[in-house]
Amino acid sequence: MTEIKDQETAKAGGQLVSAASAEVIIEFTQVNKWYGDFHVLKDIDLSVHKGERIVVCGPSGSGKSTLIRCMNHLEEHQSGSIVVDGITLNRNLKNIDHIRTEVGMVFQNFNLFPHLTILENLTLGPIWTRKMPKADAHDLAVKYLERVKIPEQADKFPGQLSGGQQQRVAIARSLCMNPKIMLFDEPTSALDPEMIKEVLEVMIELADTGMTMIVVTHEMGFAETVADRVLLMDQGQIVEENEPGEFFNNPQHERTKLFLSQIL
Amino acid sequence: MASIKKVPALSAAPPLSEVSVLGWMQKNLFSSVFNTLLTLVTLYIIYITVKGLWVWGIADAVWVADNRRECFEISTDGACWAGVIAWLDNIFYGRYPRQELWRVNLGIFFLFIWMTPLWLPRVKAKISIGMTTVFLYPFLGGYLFAGGEKGIFMQIMLTSAIVCLLANTIHSIIGIFSGRSLPEFISSLSGKKNVSDKTQRNIFLGFLALIFVLIFVWQMSWSLERVPWTKWGGLFLTLVIAGIGIASALPGGIILALGRRSRMPVIRVLSTTFIELFRSVPIITVLFMATTMFPLFMPQGFVLNKLVQVIIAVCLFNAAYMAETVRGGLQTIPLGQFEGAHTIGLGYWQTMGLIVMPQALKHMIPNIVGNFISLLKDTTLVSIIGLFDVLGMLRSISKDLPWLGLHKEPLVFGAILFFLICFAMSKYSRHLEVKLSTGHKN
Ligand SMILES: Nc1ncnc2c1ncn2[C@@H]1O[C@H](COP(=O)(O)OP(=O)(O)O)[C@@H](O)[C@H]1O
Ligand SMILES: [Mg+2]
Repeated sequence: MTEIKDQETAKAGGQLVSAASAEVIIEFTQVNKWYGDFHVLKDIDLSVHKGERIVVCGPSGSGKSTLIRCMNHLEEHQSGSIVVDGITLNRNLKNIDHIRTEVGMVFQNFNLFPHLTILENLTLGPIWTRKMPKADAHDLAVKYLERVKIPEQADKFPGQLSGGQQQRVAIARSLCMNPKIMLFDEPTSALDPEMIKEVLEVMIELADTGMTMIVVTHEMGFAETVADRVLLMDQGQIVEENEPGEFFNNPQHERTKLFLSQIL
Repeated sequence: MASIKKVPALSAAPPLSEVSVLGWMQKNLFSSVFNTLLTLVTLYIIYITVKGLWVWGIADAVWVADNRRECFEISTDGACWAGVIAWLDNIFYGRYPRQELWRVNLGIFFLFIWMTPLWLPRVKAKISIGMTTVFLYPFLGGYLFAGGEKGIFMQIMLTSAIVCLLANTIHSIIGIFSGRSLPEFISSLSGKKNVSDKTQRNIFLGFLALIFVLIFVWQMSWSLERVPWTKWGGLFLTLVIAGIGIASALPGGIILALGRRSRMPVIRVLSTTFIELFRSVPIITVLFMATTMFPLFMPQGFVLNKLVQVIIAVCLFNAAYMAETVRGGLQTIPLGQFEGAHTIGLGYWQTMGLIVMPQALKHMIPNIVGNFISLLKDTTLVSIIGLFDVLGMLRSISKDLPWLGLHKEPLVFGAILFFLICFAMSKYSRHLEVKLSTGHKN
């Protein structure tokens, strides 16, 4: 576990000021999903406010990835309703493409495009889906590469970068689309310990800008510093949902206690 | 703390067996009695073969003679290359009228010019150049080869092809010297700086339109004599069929492979049926079907010439094979790449064109070139259904009166010819593979 608390990036008191507003940007109502006859998500109810930062944790296989992948329709749910940024997710392809430009996603394995340079990885979305002129897209990409602190890597290929650098490029790639929501699926799990910190720092700075973030992670230090709310998933259900202080120090549910005892 | 050696270990010279020829030979050829014996026997066999070939093919061979009898009089056990040499024009061009041969040569030269930029590292817009090779060059080459009256469609396409050839060539020359593209160069001529992409494109298009008009007027003033396809033959015909097959196999294969992976059942079933049907039938059957059955499906009075039928058959057959190669390549792309593309909002075609295909094609190069090589060799089967391709020509030497019965030499020559072409192709594919994989590994 990386200790984020002591770093200078953390705000006084170890907790970022919440940027959450009253406006709901993601709304799950009674969402169910099956893989074949395996029930992955069971009656999920969840609302995320604009600017809110949510950390999702839970044992492996509990459906965390599935939950956040439903938010940009990488996975399809079978019953219930999911409304993202005012748009109900259904089979309508136009809506899905629109939602995907509004929702950025960062994966455990980065999923950068290995045949393109870092800069091309970043400008691809703006040029092809935002129809931005090349020069503007280039400037934008450089700006975000600076934001994630690797402007000097612009002309390299992903394979030439370390894992931590690749993950920061992946974050920058999503940010170039100017998304309203950012989803992170275990962004640091595939990284060596010394690289975890640099990625978390970038994420904390991003949280500081008021971005709506949903982060699946087991970095409890990060959760305590950044999260407005922590969710525990187990067997396809949201078992416990609380602000981080309460969640860690005063867990209500047996399963949460068990989980925390295993992870801490 | 253990003491750390400060002195770096001297790098010792490698053992003899790694550097000297003798050392290598001892290690690999004469390491044991049995191995030595094997080496000697092999050397002896190689010696006999090479000596036989040398004596027959070069030392005792006859290079100049008027007919086969003269060959025999000069040397009884040497090859009679004189027959092959006398037939060289036929082997390369078939019965294409001799005074029109320049058209074939020019057409091939233009193709060469058209494609050279693809190999020049500094030239931009390689994809457009590749696309125009496939879609525009055939009109230029086709008219040069076939000639005849130009219809209005042919005039337009021919003019476009010429304009495109000019633009390509100038673009590459500029590219070599300045690393810029032609549109950039033209708008920089106007003296203004920082022209936007859009105006740059408009200036370029305007420029092209102007050239188009000029060329169109010019090409109205001449036309070429018609050479019917029955006069085409030899290596030229082989390359025309194989070339069209190669150019269409890849796009066709990609479409079929995507169709086979499509989520739409109708498209999926159609593509799968097509692929499996063609893959389960030998190409010679497809060729016979094309020339005998195909006309039955056509409306009454609609006659396609045999060459076109054969070309269609070759294209379909190879598209089906290529489809499976492409499908194999697509399967090497991890799901994460699709998801990465989706999260930045790319649609199906953009994902395929920008992310998936470029990576998949790279993995597929050896198989693609393998397909091309077998396509080229399969093309010789058209001689069975009565086209005089290179094999047909080589075989008719033995029926030519002065060279009656000359079988061996033409076929050996054909073998050497095919070996050279196919070997070059596979070497080139190897080179491409190395180049693309060192460029950016992941
Ligand atoms: N495409 C799939 N097909 C079938 N089962 C799947 C698929 N994806 C995930 N699962 C199953 O769903 C469960 C939840 O997966 P996931 O959401 O990835 O869990 P987590 O991210 O919490 O580890 C796991 O048991 C996994 O095996
Ligand atoms: Mg997961």
